[in-house]
Amino acid sequence: MFTKTHPLQSKSEIILRNIVVVAMVLFFTTFLIIPIGIAFAGSFREWNPLSGTYRFLGLENYKEVLTSPLFWSSLWNTLIFSVVVIIFRVGLGLAIAYAIYSALIKYKSFFRSIFYMPVVTPMVAVAFVWKFMYNPQIGTVNQILGLDINWLMNPKTALAAVIIMTIWKDFGYAVVMYMAGLYSLPSDALEAAKVDGANSWQNFRYITFPLLKPMTLFVTITSIISYIQAYVQILIMTEGGPGTATYLSSYIIYDEAFVKYNFGYASALSFVLFILTAAFTWLSFRVSGNEE
Amino acid sequence: MTGYQAIHPNVTIKLVNNPWEDYWTKLPLALDGENGPAIFNVHNSYHENLINYLAPLEIPLEELQADFTGVDAHVIDGKVYYIDYGMMTGSVYYNKDMWETAGLTDADIPKTWDEMREVAKKLTIKEGDKLIQAGLNFNDDFHQNYLLGLNYQLGENLFQEDGRTPNVNTDAMKQIMQMLVDLYHTDGVGSENFGEKGSDSFGQGQSAMVIQWGHYYNTLNTTWTDINFGVFEIPTFDGNPYAYNRYNGESSFGVNKNAPAEQQAVAQDFVKYFLANDDAQIAFNLAMSTFPAKKSLADNEKVMENPSLSILSEHIDRYIWPGPMPSTMETSLKKAGQDIFFNGVDIDTALNEAQETIIRDMKSSTFQSVESLYKYAK
Repeated sequence: MFTKTHPLQSKSEIILRNIVVVAMVLFFTTFLIIPIGIAFAGSFREWNPLSGTYRFLGLENYKEVLTSPLFWSSLWNTLIFSVVVIIFRVGLGLAIAYAIYSALIKYKSFFRSIFYMPVVTPMVAVAFVWKFMYNPQIGTVNQILGLDINWLMNPKTALAAVIIMTIWKDFGYAVVMYMAGLYSLPSDALEAAKVDGANSWQNFRYITFPLLKPMTLFVTITSIISYIQAYVQILIMTEGGPGTATYLSSYIIYDEAFVKYNFGYASALSFVLFILTAAFTWLSFRVSGNEE
Repeated sequence: MTGYQAIHPNVTIKLVNNPWEDYWTKLPLALDGENGPAIFNVHNSYHENLINYLAPLEIPLEELQADFTGVDAHVIDGKVYYIDYGMMTGSVYYNKDMWETAGLTDADIPKTWDEMREVAKKLTIKEGDKLIQAGLNFNDDFHQNYLLGLNYQLGENLFQEDGRTPNVNTDAMKQIMQMLVDLYHTDGVGSENFGEKGSDSFGQGQSAMVIQWGHYYNTLNTTWTDINFGVFEIPTFDGNPYAYNRYNGESSFGVNKNAPAEQQAVAQDFVKYFLANDDAQIAFNLAMSTFPAKKSLADNEKVMENPSLSILSEHIDRYIWPGPMPSTMETSLKKAGQDIFFNGVDIDTALNEAQETIIRDMKSSTFQSVESLYKYAK
């Protein structure tokens, strides 16, 4: 006769499990679910928490978002910003990780640390330093290149300048992730390819790169989520300027919420952006064939 | 605080300092809670976020009106919640060494914008096409120091008669914007690419003149101590302006209407002490480089020793306050200027867009201009 037994070993483990689960549920409810619910309700209202304004508007905020030229231009900027940074982050990350992984390279830990250092440096600090480097009079960029360009106030170069800074700061993350992926590759597949006479390119093209696909997908998805939310570098380096040339979607949310205290409109923007982020993430899974 | 506590040894005031940006976010939230400060610093640009938490001052209105300038603009339903202790505005700061090198003397101090442009040309140094020294630099702050002030010289308020509709897309504003473009692109006295901020460029000894508000006087004396500078009143278009410039008030303290009665009583008494105490008034005005709103201090010796204040004394009643304007007035005009200088947008289009943005942003604002209370209002 079988008796139903509890998978946990002891009463203390059950108590510990319950405490952890309750703590996690409370944490996510307090800091995620409730704020999201409040923001969703607020997105249908004229809402200024500092002056106490909270008036129902229906879908007015959403209509205003979707008919705003600034929203669409910022969305276009966000798309350009995200696609370019992600391509370089993944490309550079993979190339450098593969180079460090190579048997020809010594001091692997040193290089891995060097490339990862900008990632752990606060964005605010990096953005300030790069802003100084882009200064048209005394910045090192113009001095090194022998140019006279106002990088951050020229509509042709401003977004590109922010993109370059972001790539420099963030590609180290992909390096470390790909290094982890490379070290976990099954050695039998690589050895079999070697026995079959595959050269280095064939080895990379047909064995290594396909096996790194889950890591590429992970880096891409986390990058999409991260860059659609990017605004700190814009806040520090251009404040969205010149004019509104470098406005990103998240920067509008910041501007509406914390400069104009227009929380209702900012909440509506946030939910539109949330839907777009979810759509891009789903699309990435579709393209990579990893819907599950 | 020390003076007040010396008179009232039973009172303890705990001073809490916060960085500027943090303060204006934290303060309304603190006032909304149960442990907000009984007395706090007020800035009129945050009026809408604070007014619901303010207790009216327990000082008879007529006494405040008799002693201080600009009280009427702060009256709400017969009550006053804070007033200005000082008035800050923009003046021209010039580098005396560059002035002398250019062969200019005190007699060359310009009274009109035409004269100003000529002086700026003389102060400009170029090597070929490359700008070495700007005669005048308004980068990053043209919206605060030119667009939102010179309109009054041309007889136009910032808001229309209803007190709410912005007067941004107007002939006066276009004329001012065109003058700024001409200064850089025709006269060549500066460049939108020369120095990220005019104020910093002046402090770094790269620009000969800037228009800055009163606080800049102390900035120069503390941050840019090597600069030998002078200051003169802002030029006018015709010598007989409707108003010389916009001013903004530095506000007296606010009293938290939700604080315990005992603390509110002390807070009210402290505000009275602050406003009645001439030494405190002079100290605060000198610290902020604001012209005293207290009428009896208008010709005070210590105040007149500060050149950034003494130059204002002759025409101080010809400066106008539009009220606590929403920040969109500044940010939208800044974007308009950047669109013109950097993005190739024409003046009409840029100002029209600014006008539309401001109207949208002010939809839920309760702002009402007080320009009609100006002494010489039309």
